[in-house]
Amino acid sequence: MTGSLADRQAALVAALTSGAPLPGGFDPRLVEAARVALLRKRAGEVARNWPELAGACGREWFEVWSAWAATRPTRGSLRDGWDLARDLRARGELPAAAGAELAVREATLTYDGSAPPRPRRRPALRTVAGAWVLQAGGRVRVLRRPAA
Amino acid sequence: MTIEYGVGIGWRPDIAGYVDRLPGLRFAEVVAESVPPEGELPDGLARLRERGVTVIPHGTRLSLGGAEPVDPARVAHFAAVARQLDAPLVSEHIAFVRAGGVEAGHLLPIPRTREAVDAVVANVRRTREELDVPIALEPIAALFDWPDDELDEGAFLTEILERTEALLLLDVANVYANALNRGTDPAALFDRLPLERIAYCHVAGGSATPDGIYHDTHTDAVPPEVLELVAELCGRHRPPALMLERDGDYPPAAELTAELDAIAAASGYPRVTP
Repeated sequence: MTGSLADRQAALVAALTSGAPLPGGFDPRLVEAARVALLRKRAGEVARNWPELAGACGREWFEVWSAWAATRPTRGSLRDGWDLARDLRARGELPAAAGAELAVREATLTYDGSAPPRPRRRPALRTVAGAWVLQAGGRVRVLRRPAA
Repeated sequence: MTIEYGVGIGWRPDIAGYVDRLPGLRFAEVVAESVPPEGELPDGLARLRERGVTVIPHGTRLSLGGAEPVDPARVAHFAAVARQLDAPLVSEHIAFVRAGGVEAGHLLPIPRTREAVDAVVANVRRTREELDVPIALEPIAALFDWPDDELDEGAFLTEILERTEALLLLDVANVYANALNRGTDPAALFDRLPLERIAYCHVAGGSATPDGIYHDTHTDAVPPEVLELVAELCGRHRPPALMLERDGDYPPAAELTAELDAIAAASGYPRVTP
């Protein structure tokens, strides 16, 4: 393969994280193994940050996660899980058992989907998938949590 | 590091209680990015420092092998953590983790070319300018190689170490994983490396997937073959410290103890467990 080291590294990262074509000369089987291992590592990290989301997906977690993450490079496990949860909610596919976790995050932090999340200064009430969460003065109460 | 520290462990918040109760422990490592650069240390780390355990910051996000210069803010944090821990040395990887503004999310191999060696050497130099202590460089476990490699692994690593004057952090499990996946003899690499430059060693577990590829997971038990390789290495030149590196799926204390004791047995260092 040709080009500067910077270009070649960028092309490899794009193939591993964004679904871009693999640059020539690499062993496709081995790079695919690395790509899947990377998705698994990220799945574990996001599950630690979003235990209710991963838990609600159960055995399908890795499938749900990798379908979403395969073309999206990481922006850190907090934001990755957040973006995925919002995406699932928009499609009406967010499991009810994961609603309170997203509502708590939405009520405590402000996140526009592009800049890093920041703490909310003002009180906020958020409802997600049947869960109600109230945040005031940094204190959070789950007012309603639907049965799983 | 001329002091013999013996058997150590990678400190992680999840096993802080366990590490606290290792009576003979003199050496631990912590992921540098997880340590605040100033103010209070996390509880468990502060207690380790109070009882005189040496704690080495282990960087994972500097991307020393990236074609782009290291981020000065990341280097400043790394150096501040080393001062915060009063560490005698720091460590990072011969790898890149981002390119073109995109995070890979993992340590990726760099091509074994002159151009890549130059990039690593330049980044290590930029990093060392901010550090008060030596740096040890760790070769990674790579599932694939670049198509345009010019140097073999021994020549590549030796050239980087010579030109950077860095120490070597040798991960015995990485040596095992790479050799297994490439179909080469792991111990043969020991003949090609400056073993006297080893600051310390990582020892970790992994597992093979059904397609026969061995993954250096840090979430599985340490295979007996890796312990045999530890014994082989120590027979040639015993490093001053060897540590267990576990990064998830933490087993019960008894299993961690068995792994630490197995590293002690393979290296001939005293046990650090109760």
